[in-house]
Amino acid sequence: MKKFRLYFEEHNRGPLTQLWQQFQRQHVAVFGLVIFVFFLLLTIFAPLLSPHSPYLQNSDLLLLPPSWSEQGLVQYPFGTDDLGRDLMSRLMKGATYTFGIALITVIGSLLMGLALGAMAGMSKGLKSSIFNHVLDLALTIPSLLLAIIIVAVLGPGLWNTTWAIMLALLPQFVHGIRNAIQDTLKQDYVAAYRLDGASNWQVLRYAVLPNIWEHITVMATMALSTAILDVAALGFLGLGAQAPTSEWGVMIADALDLIYLAPWAIALPGLLVFAAVLSVNLVGDGLRTAMTKRREN
Amino acid sequence: MMLHYFLRRTFLIAFVFVALTVLAFSLSYLFPGEVLNNVSGLTSIDPEQQQALIQYYALDQSVIMQYLGYVHRILAGEWGLSFSSQQPVLAEIIAVFPATLELASYALILSFVLGIPLGLFAAVKADSFFGKLISGITLVAYSIPIFWWALLLIMLFSLTLGLLPTAGRINVLFDIPTTTGFMLPDIWLSDIPYKSEATQDALRHLLLPAIVLATYPTTVMIRFTRDSMLAVLEQSYIKTARAKGLSRAQVLYHHGLRNALLPVIRQIGLQFSTLITLAMITEVIFSWPGIGQWLLDSIYQRNYPAIQGGLLVVSCLVIVVNMLTEILHTLFNPLARKA
Amino acid sequence: MIKALLSLMVPCGSVLILSACQPDIPETIQQGMVYCSEGSPESFNPQRVTSGTTIDAISQQLYDRLLDIDPASGELLPALATQWRLSDDGKTYWFTLRPDVQFHHTAFFSPSRTLNAKDVTFTFNRITQTDHPYHATGGAVYPYFQSVDWGSLVKAVVAENSNTVRFELSRPDSSFLSNLATDFAAILSAEYAEQLLQQNQPELLDQRPIGTGPFFFKEYKKNQFIRYYRHPEYWRGKVELTQLVFDLVPDNAKRMAKLLTHECDVVAYPRNAELKLIAERPDVEVQSQISMNVGFWAFNTQKPPFDNVLVRKALAYAINKDAILDAVYFGYADKAKTLLPPTSWAFYHDLPEQQYDPIKAQELLAQAGYPKGFSMDIWAMPVQRLYNPNALKMAELMQADLAKIGVKASIVSFEWNSFRRKLSEFEHDSVLIGWAADNADPDNFFRPLLSCSAAESGSNRANWCDPNFDNLINQALLTADIKQRRSFYLTAQLYLDEQMPLVSIAHSKRFQAKSVKITGVTINPYGGISMAAARKSL
Repeated sequence: MKKFRLYFEEHNRGPLTQLWQQFQRQHVAVFGLVIFVFFLLLTIFAPLLSPHSPYLQNSDLLLLPPSWSEQGLVQYPFGTDDLGRDLMSRLMKGATYTFGIALITVIGSLLMGLALGAMAGMSKGLKSSIFNHVLDLALTIPSLLLAIIIVAVLGPGLWNTTWAIMLALLPQFVHGIRNAIQDTLKQDYVAAYRLDGASNWQVLRYAVLPNIWEHITVMATMALSTAILDVAALGFLGLGAQAPTSEWGVMIADALDLIYLAPWAIALPGLLVFAAVLSVNLVGDGLRTAMTKRREN
Repeated sequence: MMLHYFLRRTFLIAFVFVALTVLAFSLSYLFPGEVLNNVSGLTSIDPEQQQALIQYYALDQSVIMQYLGYVHRILAGEWGLSFSSQQPVLAEIIAVFPATLELASYALILSFVLGIPLGLFAAVKADSFFGKLISGITLVAYSIPIFWWALLLIMLFSLTLGLLPTAGRINVLFDIPTTTGFMLPDIWLSDIPYKSEATQDALRHLLLPAIVLATYPTTVMIRFTRDSMLAVLEQSYIKTARAKGLSRAQVLYHHGLRNALLPVIRQIGLQFSTLITLAMITEVIFSWPGIGQWLLDSIYQRNYPAIQGGLLVVSCLVIVVNMLTEILHTLFNPLARKA
Repeated sequence: MIKALLSLMVPCGSVLILSACQPDIPETIQQGMVYCSEGSPESFNPQRVTSGTTIDAISQQLYDRLLDIDPASGELLPALATQWRLSDDGKTYWFTLRPDVQFHHTAFFSPSRTLNAKDVTFTFNRITQTDHPYHATGGAVYPYFQSVDWGSLVKAVVAENSNTVRFELSRPDSSFLSNLATDFAAILSAEYAEQLLQQNQPELLDQRPIGTGPFFFKEYKKNQFIRYYRHPEYWRGKVELTQLVFDLVPDNAKRMAKLLTHECDVVAYPRNAELKLIAERPDVEVQSQISMNVGFWAFNTQKPPFDNVLVRKALAYAINKDAILDAVYFGYADKAKTLLPPTSWAFYHDLPEQQYDPIKAQELLAQAGYPKGFSMDIWAMPVQRLYNPNALKMAELMQADLAKIGVKASIVSFEWNSFRRKLSEFEHDSVLIGWAADNADPDNFFRPLLSCSAAESGSNRANWCDPNFDNLINQALLTADIKQRRSFYLTAQLYLDEQMPLVSIAHSKRFQAKSVKITGVTINPYGGISMAAARKSL
């Protein structure tokens, strides 16, 4: 099998390479990818990279302005907050919370969505009809509202938010995966595979999944941008992570009190949320365009 | 055919209501604390009262009976008391709900008025500078966290420039009697001598929240209209029409626009549900006294009867508006009926 | 929509000069004032509450008291009572009432008579007589009066004739007149109460108020605003403001924003951090007033491990008060040694100061049997109060301090009214809260905060009932001799220092920020603000 694939790659280029080639041509999308990777690295390595502890209070250095201002210090590039905590370290650690948790929720939701979507996609009849109706209903409720409802039941908190967003993203994954599977099932090659005597599982594993993964990736990027916004919004509303956690949304809500004294404490975390969502959207858009172009070729 | 469609929809709506009430009903059990307190909304219950209340709420009977009792009370307008104020939940919802509806509808209108023309423009002139600019701005606006955007606008227009107020629906010194709960109609229906000043003040208060709230749906509308128009322009009937010798404008108007805008109707419903969610955040930032702020306050206060009632109203509204627009869409587009 | 928007803006020029556009607003609105307050009132009857937020909003605006306190000297002044007299045994007081005092005339009540002795007896009998038709209305809760043990002190309140009232006490009490002058002792209308009884809606007495004060009640929208109009027949003379609106803005930053955008004329509690900022602007200014208050950290002394004195002392040693004063009060407060502020005549000047000593704290914890520390909750009030401008921030600082001695603290906060309710049910481990005095008497600090009767009524946040301490503060009241009283209070302060039911943190100045157009809003060092003399220049 491996040999076979190698052979193709040399002469005809695998779908992945083709996709990358198309993606590469869109400079904006590549730029988005660079930022995305930057956030990804920050998420994982923030504790090692941050110059100070994000929770260390220094009562001698309250509300230090960023280092580009005259009163700023080089050791505190973005200044300190009203408890003397280093803003840069908090922002870096915030990536772990906002970006990292969004990533976890998307992965979790994707896995659950795959299982449920596969079941829904492969089944037929009344059961499937009821399931679809319930799903359509759930889809009409926006993920943030659904997350707020779930948090209302579970109570505020970081882990409850994670669960809530995971569940709130689920309907769109199930719906998308189910539709993709059903479309693929109609293809001739699936019928041919079935005629070869393939079981449902084999059809799913070898005929359907390889053909829908691109679609799933695009869905996942869309879900990721929603998830980042949702994590930050819930944090901002005080329903998600709680102070002193340095989640970006919570940091904005905290800094609201300082809107006159330290406007940068509001501007910076918001900018990071914005950059993170934008990078994900750029990558998503780029992927989609690359996919369309590759199909056209 | 049509009748069959409506029957199916009616059945679905009925099913939805049952599902939502079951969900809301089960919340009384899912929430922490005593079920009796959650159901009645009373914060402290005397031992003597307790037995009577248990009977009244049928807590000693089967779950089905309790559920039927709950539905009956919901229909009779008896939604329990709010933990924090000990006032009827329904009355509180009625007091705050119009503010949200008002804000959301203005934002919705704004998003259509801005979104559709810009989207069409971006599609027709896809390769021009402005077309690209619109697409670029859309992508940016699509990624911006709404609460941050709202704060930036407040910092600029209210705090730095001092042009617009930061909070509320109207200057509190204007004594506008509540009749409908919608601010602008209330001003026009009232017999105060300073109607035009009040209207102007109300509009100044409305401007920032409406812009903030309209941002996301407008970008979605632009993207949607653009994609929809681009898809239509690819169709063979457009090419045929052009080949027949119709002018570009004629083709765009008669064939392009109509077919591209049909799916847009469907968007009203979808955008409305997004709006209601975003309205919650907008309301918190602009101290807009709507159901979003009320519901979030209830969540902070763990005010379970209020959360239960608020969620029921919001989710019902979202789903009903969705279904209505879907039905509208079907009326205009016979092709959709088969689905 | 857009068209309407544009058409309405055009008369005023372009969008950019909106602020310059001054529409032709009638006098009732131009002479109205917006006071941005930090929270919603719990009730419209001062008898039923202790929270300063509620008192600020209702007491001085809607009501009058028999006596007032001179804000400068702390002496008693005549108000609804023109003169008063005390019997030789110190147990009977007579008050002569002011003639021709008009009650509010509103949409829901038209008074047929002026103030007389019946209104006074109604006001106080409601509190003491358990069979009074209004006693149990809305739950028999009269927190301030319960905390000063009013029920056992006042035997009877009798109308001798239409303008003389007699109070009979069970024992002499040197703080009695001071208590009558507090914002809680507002005089209600007996006639209105009668009318409500007939309409079978007695609960409205506390929700739709009628008083004799400078403003009358128009409407209250929960969490939004309270609207008052000028009382045209106010006995002290003409009120300048035509309308007074309390805009309820719990969020500190929003309140400040509203001051700067001129949506509020006066804001309560500007944050200390922003005082400098306000001083730099020409259109707004800060008023400050020395105030009798204390911010403290109270332990629920009935709950283990806080029932152990050693634990309480250890926690007191663990807190770095200097850092708190810097970060939370921005230096605009005095570090507290004891409950009483240094301006009180009973203040114990030689009391040693509580040191910041984490090592000592750890030793004490080990002695108490918690060498590895424990977990606890710190409840932080959600609103900014005079005595504590930012309890959440204070809690975060303390959290870090406590972590150093191995105590893991989590911060708990609710909406203000729920918060207070849960506190009085003693659900907390410890709480950051405080007290602002209602009168100049030192008893006003000790009794409502730490006496056994206050523990019963729920205003004793430490849930601390110690007979020794109660004995000391009771003894202090039996004599009118200042020297003797002082020695009792000094002993009481020393005893508190040993027992540490709460850690006093700071005595803050009271600030208020306002537009320069507004004059005459007075902050009283002993309680609520008064808007009766406020005026607005155009």
